[in-house]
Amino acid sequence: MSENRRQILEMLSSGQITADEAERLIAALEKGQPASAAADESHPKTNVKYLRVLVDSEETGKDHGPVKVNVRVPIQLLRAGVRLAGLIPARARDKVNEAFHRQGMEFDVNQIKPENLEELVEQLNDLTVDVDADDGDRNGKVKVRVFCE
Amino acid sequence: MIPFFAKIGLRSLRGMGFRLWIPLFLIWLLLVPIVLLLLPLMFVLWWALQVNPFRALSACWQILSGLSRTHVEVEHDHGSILIHIV
Repeated sequence: MSENRRQILEMLSSGQITADEAERLIAALEKGQPASAAADESHPKTNVKYLRVLVDSEETGKDHGPVKVNVRVPIQLLRAGVRLAGLIPARARDKVNEAFHRQGMEFDVNQIKPENLEELVEQLNDLTVDVDADDGDRNGKVKVRVFCE
Repeated sequence: MIPFFAKIGLRSLRGMGFRLWIPLFLIWLLLVPIVLLLLPLMFVLWWALQVNPFRALSACWQILSGLSRTHVEVEHDHGSILIHIV
């Protein structure tokens, strides 16, 4: 039990405040205190630093050889990109949304907000995409790995 | 921290290639006076576009800082390319 709560209960027991007043004080205490704690819980610090994309194509054709791609993008860059997206003027955002819609992508640029950023990064923490596929008419396999580290 | 160096590597089909260290800090130093000269113009442009200039500057700086430790490497039979920003 916190010190403040104990004090309120003592004041109630000694008759300094009424039960209603005590209830209001405790409610105010709960409202004020866990705001930061709840924020910390909902947005825990992620230790993800990079988004990695690895592609390993083992195709062996006439004009094609094996391809290896290794990309490491700092999460900080993604954060900055999202912040930059937040600066796009409203009219331009509408045009971007229209262009997405024309391409068949129901994506709303307005939803890219700095508030959602930490949540996005947090979700990236658990992201691992593994694609292991035969490369169609060409001979060989393609392995794609997308993950955070 | 903004990146100070970039390493660029290229290799051709015949196996010939090179790796180049580019001192980005020298480029930043050269760009500073140009940026300072263009800044009033940029402020006017941002004002016209109704964009907070300070937020825009901050975002640009963060993008520049975020480039540090970016690594892109593509290898193929025909050649390879490596970009590493430090």
